[in-house]
Amino acid sequence: MVGKVARDAATAEFFDGTARGELLLRRCHDGHLSSPYATACETCAAADLTATPAKGGGTVVSHAAAHRRDGTTLPLVIVELDEGPWWWSCVVGAEPHEVTTGARVRLHHERADGGSEAVPVFRLVAA
Amino acid sequence: MGEAAADPLTPRTMPRGRTPAIVGLGMTEMGKVYDRTAAEFAADAVRLAVADAGLSLEDVDGLLTSAGVGGGVGLGLARDLGLRDLAVLSEMQSYGSTAGQMVQYASLAVASGMAGTIACVFADAPLRQGTSTGAAYGSRGAVGWRGVLGASGIADTTSMYALAARRHMDTYGTTQDQLGHIAVGQRAWAGMNPRAQFRDPLTLEQYHASRWITEPFHLLDCCLVSNGGIAVVVTSAERAGSLARPPVHVHGWGQAHPGRSLLRHENFGLVSGAARSGPAALAMAGLSVSDVDVVELYDCYTFTVLITLEDYGFCPKGEGGRFVADGTLGPDGKLKVNTGGGQLSSYYLWGMTPLSEAVLQARGEAGERQVADHDVVLVSGNGGVLDHHSTLVLSPHAPGRA
Ligand SMILES: [Zn+2]
Repeated sequence: MVGKVARDAATAEFFDGTARGELLLRRCHDGHLSSPYATACETCAAADLTATPAKGGGTVVSHAAAHRRDGTTLPLVIVELDEGPWWWSCVVGAEPHEVTTGARVRLHHERADGGSEAVPVFRLVAA
Repeated sequence: MGEAAADPLTPRTMPRGRTPAIVGLGMTEMGKVYDRTAAEFAADAVRLAVADAGLSLEDVDGLLTSAGVGGGVGLGLARDLGLRDLAVLSEMQSYGSTAGQMVQYASLAVASGMAGTIACVFADAPLRQGTSTGAAYGSRGAVGWRGVLGASGIADTTSMYALAARRHMDTYGTTQDQLGHIAVGQRAWAGMNPRAQFRDPLTLEQYHASRWITEPFHLLDCCLVSNGGIAVVVTSAERAGSLARPPVHVHGWGQAHPGRSLLRHENFGLVSGAARSGPAALAMAGLSVSDVDVVELYDCYTFTVLITLEDYGFCPKGEGGRFVADGTLGPDGKLKVNTGGGQLSSYYLWGMTPLSEAVLQARGEAGERQVADHDVVLVSGNGGVLDHHSTLVLSPHAPGRA
């Protein structure tokens, strides 16, 4: 379901995390949590951040349904992780009409065939 | 105005010195035009704009350039045009808000005396003969942060705006039908624009029947893709009086770059930079939204029009859907919005699309689609995914007499 992606210097630690099944958030000295790609704390602008894995639970903030050239339809989502940061990805194992704003989701990782890095995606949590 | 002026982002007055005016507009052939590079479109547009003003290239002492996705428009344009001894020359990039920003920086240069006559140009040639429109704006290599987003299925700007639009729909009850009213209203205007790529009338039924790109966006929620170039010439109001065309005075301007962080409580999809930029520009002009006669909005998607109307204050936040569906849009509507058909129906040259139509309307040169009252024309630019915003307040009247 997911596509191929290669790491670069900025994403090496992130993809080391996804290979372990972890989505690495960024934490400052004051304990604020920022998005995985933040280079400064998104709350206090501190530059000294360390990686900390998300626990994996989240809530759908918004959703969309991409109609792809192969005729399939992929549910896209913005998820607010329970820690606060957002992550944009897709929902696997569900049809677009099943994905709604406010739905609970769980982090999961998938890898495209042929040696790509693992990519964070979501699955719906049964209500 | 007191409350707005207390905001540090709000400029208080027109800079002292010469007041700026747009005196030239140059538009090349646009659309599926394959015989020129972006640099050639840019050079043609500047020559047309300078001639339109009744000036010659020797009169130009400033040049600001803006390139699209295809690149190829930059500092070299000065050489291509044979321009010498320029007092201002730069490439600019804030995506769809750049055109409005170029006019702002040109206005500041004119007001300060840094330069006298400045050409601002955007050109792009993403379409190649025999290639699909989608391929023209296709995704690049899947590497790094952008790559992980694409690998997750969020491979284009349309997906990101679709996520913004759905959030607005789910929060405020905005409907698909309401988005459709924007596409239908603008197409009705396009029918009167000889430059429009799509001029056939459009019904709401046809809108709903057009294929999905990324829900909630149908094909007809999305801008088209065009090759071409547009330039404007900015000089002082004093000089404008002796030139070929009626001057379009620049009364006010603003920019806003929210610098979104993607965390809990973020207002992505609900409020854009227009909420700060619009009031700042109107306050600088000493006007309010009720004074605006013509509104030319950046419309990469139908939704962009809706959120900008709300953020500019034409209706309360969250009521944009009801506002656009209530007889507001189209030639018979209560508010004259995107009178040339916009990027949805006419031509897509980033922020030059709304700006060019604004200049034509302010001059009274919009032909069959000319709006009778055109004393105050409000123009927006929008770049990134609601990341960058610019606003201009234009008028055929000199400041103080709008
Ligand atoms: Zn912090």
